[in-house]
Amino acid sequence: MRRIESLIDTNAADYKANYAAMSERLKEFHARQHATRFERPQRDIDRLERQNKLGVRERLKLLLDPGTPFLEFSTLAACREYDGAVPGAAVVTGIGIVQGREVAIHANDASVKGGAWYPHTVKKIVRLLDVALENRLPVVHICDSAGGFLPLQHGVFPDRYLGGRVFRNQVKLSQANIPQIAVVGGHCTAGGAYVPTLSDYNVIIEGTGAIFLGGPPLVKAATGEVVGVQELGGAVMHTSVSGTGDYRAATEEHAFSLAREIVSQWKRTPKTIIETAAYEEPYYDPKELYGIIPKDRKTQFDMREVLARIVDGSRFHEYQPDYGTTMVCGFAHIWGYKVGILANNGVLFNDSSLKAAHFMQLCNQNRTPLVFFQNITGYMVGREYEERGIAKDGAKMLMAQGGSVVPKFTVIANASYGAGNYGMCGRAWDARTLFMWPQAEIGVMGADQAANTMADVKIRQLQREGKELTEEEIAAIREPVLEKYKRDVEAYTSTSELWDDGILDPADTRNALGMSISASLNAPIDDPHYGIFRL
Amino acid sequence: MRRIFQIDGDETECWLSHDGSGMILNTPDGAIPCRLDPTGLPGGHELRAKGRVQDVRLAVGPDATFVHMNGRTYAIGRVDPSERLAGNDSGAADDRIVAPMPGVVVSVNAKPGDHVKEGQPLLVIESMKLETSLTAPRDGVIAEMPFAAGDSFGLKATLALLASEED
Repeated sequence: MRRIESLIDTNAADYKANYAAMSERLKEFHARQHATRFERPQRDIDRLERQNKLGVRERLKLLLDPGTPFLEFSTLAACREYDGAVPGAAVVTGIGIVQGREVAIHANDASVKGGAWYPHTVKKIVRLLDVALENRLPVVHICDSAGGFLPLQHGVFPDRYLGGRVFRNQVKLSQANIPQIAVVGGHCTAGGAYVPTLSDYNVIIEGTGAIFLGGPPLVKAATGEVVGVQELGGAVMHTSVSGTGDYRAATEEHAFSLAREIVSQWKRTPKTIIETAAYEEPYYDPKELYGIIPKDRKTQFDMREVLARIVDGSRFHEYQPDYGTTMVCGFAHIWGYKVGILANNGVLFNDSSLKAAHFMQLCNQNRTPLVFFQNITGYMVGREYEERGIAKDGAKMLMAQGGSVVPKFTVIANASYGAGNYGMCGRAWDARTLFMWPQAEIGVMGADQAANTMADVKIRQLQREGKELTEEEIAAIREPVLEKYKRDVEAYTSTSELWDDGILDPADTRNALGMSISASLNAPIDDPHYGIFRL
Repeated sequence: MRRIFQIDGDETECWLSHDGSGMILNTPDGAIPCRLDPTGLPGGHELRAKGRVQDVRLAVGPDATFVHMNGRTYAIGRVDPSERLAGNDSGAADDRIVAPMPGVVVSVNAKPGDHVKEGQPLLVIESMKLETSLTAPRDGVIAEMPFAAGDSFGLKATLALLASEED
């Protein structure tokens, strides 16, 4: 495989301006991420200490193999909800390494509202368990939750993908022969009691851990019985009387060493074998991405320059280099794993859509995982293109993409507008992981277009009513729409709503993809099969 | 895909194969049975070929392998065969920059009579919410720049024309 020859001049003025703009954005991003992970009001820190509990980050440290990476998902979930008062949606999720095995981790963060489940908490846990199911990853639950957040119970409890889905997914994991363990380091009340009881193994920490369907106050209200936490659902009772708990741990440290020992008892299933090559760092420095990603989103850039800073040795075998050139397709290795890459170098035309569909079929035939790099403003519109059948060529691309059996991974590198998002494996299309870069935007169309469209509708409506509008009045209608839409398409809104698995520093993309691909190989790859291609 | 190496400016094609008992280096001058064993020293190896035993030290770089032997260092460049064999088949570059899609001209960076280099940006267009910079397909002199900033154009409109290089 040949190395991509970069044409980037790192001394050019626009490179430096882009670099400065991205560095500024990343400063904010890293600060927000740090605050979400580590900054809490003193009273919450004091409360945990009083309860003799460790924080969730310390618990993860006890659980995970030292010196191994932890791929955290959706760190900034709920950052634009609840007035920012529920950092990370009160839960930490991710893929980490325990006793040399890749596991999915779901850990309540009791320093936030006692680990209560908000609507976004549930969404984040369900997503993690979906990741575990798709990739056949064993799960470690670290339970410490006050239960569903009652004032918002309608957003936590009743619907198909809400609270019940957590437990339903646990059942499906067990049915699929994927092991789970729960470490109970706080109360598991009501529905929460099913997390440890649906796990194959559980460990309860003496003194702080407890499991019950109804806590002492609820029992008193329901039946008048007066009973303490320990007698009702403490570690001693459950591990010696009810059999609800398996192991009693004296301390947090003891609990996590037991958990690690239990994980090491599990049978390892061999990973799916795909083509691999010796690991090689990219020839070009990934930090140069900061200078390549334009500070103005509308400015075009060559995705090959991006790929050169992501893939092993910056080597890329490009497929059909002279056809459908707005769609860059080709083979490369990431962390030694062979992948097929689809990256946008402009709008999708008929030829670029057909090229993408054909390339995805090649990768499926070959059992080569697919990686999508999105910078897509849409499929081309206009009479010429409709006559050539742009809608049916787009449909072919969707049929090939949605019908792919190989694992897919998506990076929203810049724009992700309209049907282009679908064709390029947006959230609805089952990418095993999907990450966004901090300056990226996602929406049905660009902010200016959307604001103009919405303002035009309003203006025409007023004009029909016989009102003549001045320039200022039109601006007064348009501006607030534009402001709101601009915020709605930002990466922070996407990540707050869990439309992605997290925002990435572009320089970390390679490692996030490497971990994702490695994890995906815990699941087998089916034989290729598709629906009907509209030819 | 044969491997192509460059030693002291000369290119040679080699291929390493295995005959069940040892390695065979296939060169244009014939097959040479050989064997390379690490000695434990950093980069140190013992090379056996043609009945001789030779101490060598190897260092592998991204484009070349360096071999230290008999007090001299040889750089053995690895040449990518597909690249080497492709020649200069990029074809004659067009004189014309044609609109890849309908759109609007955002800015024009060259005027008729200007000498331009291949890859130099000539104009920026906007279409489908995206600004695209169109560059000179080859070195040459601008003959026509028919559109100004703000003008709209249709598919396949000529956006820039270089003076013909014929005669």
